[in-house]
Amino acid sequence: MKILGLDTATAATAVAVLDTATGATVADRDAPRRGERPRHTTALLRMIVEQLRRADTDWAGIDRIAVGVGPGTFTGLRIGVATARALAGARDIPLVGVSTLHSLAAGAAGAAGAAGPSPAGPAIDAIVAVIDARRGEVFAAGWTAADVSRPGAEPLLALAARVPEALADELRNDGRRWLAVGDGAVEFREALERSGAWIPEEDSGRNRVDAVVHCRLAAGLLPEAPDGVLPEYLRLPDAEISLRAARQ
Amino acid sequence: MILALETSCDDTCAAVLTPDGRIASNVISSQGIHDRYGGVVPEIASRHHLELVGAVIQDALRQADVGLEAVELVAVTRGPGLVAALLVGLATAKAIAAAHEIALAPVDHLHGHVAAGFLAPSTLGGDGDPFLSLIASGGHTFLARVTDRGPDFEVLGQTLDDAAGEAFDKGARLLGLGYPGGAALERLARDGDPAAFPFPTAARMPGLDFSFAGLKTALLYRVRDLGPPETERRRADLAASYQHAIVEALALRVERALERTGLERLAVGGGVAANGPLRERLGRLGVPVDVPPRELCTDNAAMIASAARFVTPLPFPEYLELDVYATGERALVPTR
Ligand SMILES: [Zn+2]
Repeated sequence: MKILGLDTATAATAVAVLDTATGATVADRDAPRRGERPRHTTALLRMIVEQLRRADTDWAGIDRIAVGVGPGTFTGLRIGVATARALAGARDIPLVGVSTLHSLAAGAAGAAGAAGPSPAGPAIDAIVAVIDARRGEVFAAGWTAADVSRPGAEPLLALAARVPEALADELRNDGRRWLAVGDGAVEFREALERSGAWIPEEDSGRNRVDAVVHCRLAAGLLPEAPDGVLPEYLRLPDAEISLRAARQ
Repeated sequence: MILALETSCDDTCAAVLTPDGRIASNVISSQGIHDRYGGVVPEIASRHHLELVGAVIQDALRQADVGLEAVELVAVTRGPGLVAALLVGLATAKAIAAAHEIALAPVDHLHGHVAAGFLAPSTLGGDGDPFLSLIASGGHTFLARVTDRGPDFEVLGQTLDDAAGEAFDKGARLLGLGYPGGAALERLARDGDPAAFPFPTAARMPGLDFSFAGLKTALLYRVRDLGPPETERRRADLAASYQHAIVEALALRVERALERTGLERLAVGGGVAANGPLRERLGRLGVPVDVPPRELCTDNAAMIASAARFVTPLPFPEYLELDVYATGERALVPTR
């Protein structure tokens, strides 16, 4: 089975194609430098077309599409999900929504579906994926190292937006040896390291969303109706928050 | 067939058009959830666009009784509008076109409003005869000299502040008619005297630009001066006078433009074109007036498909990196 994976939840645009029969992968990633704006709109579809070509295939050769549903930036998520839904709908390709946080955690643990987690560094029991949610918050969810590579694995640390200090408290109180990864872990390194969590160097691949991992997880998930695949926003629009506050 | 998408504001729209400009389907899903926020909220509109766009496209194809394989061109609004909202339509349109390696036509929303007048069986603009176009809606108000059906019409004047439809909505809110209240204001005005209150029409402002901010302020002060009981009692008169001022402000500049350009035909579009007194007033100017049916005046995708017939389409893969543009990002440059 050939799976096209894509993710636009973070500032990066990530695209991959995995051939589950051979294990062959092609992947590309476009990440803006600090201060630059994300290029999801201009990069995503071009990268998809290029990766299909590099994988020596075309739309007819793709058996499944895996799209990262976040959480992450609202506009970025919508570009990825809209693109994936339209491609799936237009070519009748089964579509799977993949948690960007789960993919990030599974990728950091070692490739999902591989023999098991073996991060170079201290021994760890659990992995928390942390994406910068702006406004001083992070989107985070955590899994045990033993479970994280399993598609559809339920998180041990529930998916939610939190302030970094609250996440650090949760990790410390949990008592496990945690690996924290993602742009949010790097951004709030100081607060999170106080909990005892290990955070890889900023430029470590473990902090990056990898669409190959989306593909691996998607291979073990059931496709959904394309219209059912929607972003995991985790936050209400500001106007709704203000309206509810005003009514109280 | 042309498949078109329009998501520049709060309506999720898809349409199918035949290559010769006949509407095969025109589906509009009005979100209608912005009323309680007192205006369109971009983030909420964008979330709804994403939820609705797939079903709206399916409906458009089903009603046109065609499959995607019959679609030779995908058209989409590229701007101006709400960026986050536009992006849902653009990402969707690009992906559909790329999935079948067909061409994509990026359409300017304002060209779309003008092109609503080109839908079959209209002959407007098709015989090389130029005409004056007035587009007035909640988002835009401008006058243009249109010499052919393409996107390069000459903007003669535009609003310097509020759009005409916005003026209707803001006036309606001041009169306690809720949001959006343009249509309610028109209904209320039927029982009122348009000459009861002299509201400003910016008549002394020379040229062909519009300004409605002063009118809104005048109503605000008048309501304050009258006090709640008197305002309540004279609501219909206030509505009729306020509407009269908007209609006059529009008609005055249309008259000036016809005079200056010597154009002998007028086409009207945008949601405000549905306003009865405006249609009546423009009908008395002595030139033929073209107004599309109401559902083609408000935002829709058939007008985007119509405009797409007159833009140069981008063949696959030239549109893969296409981006949107926001309101105000591409100035309408008046050349007069
Ligand atoms: Zn419009």
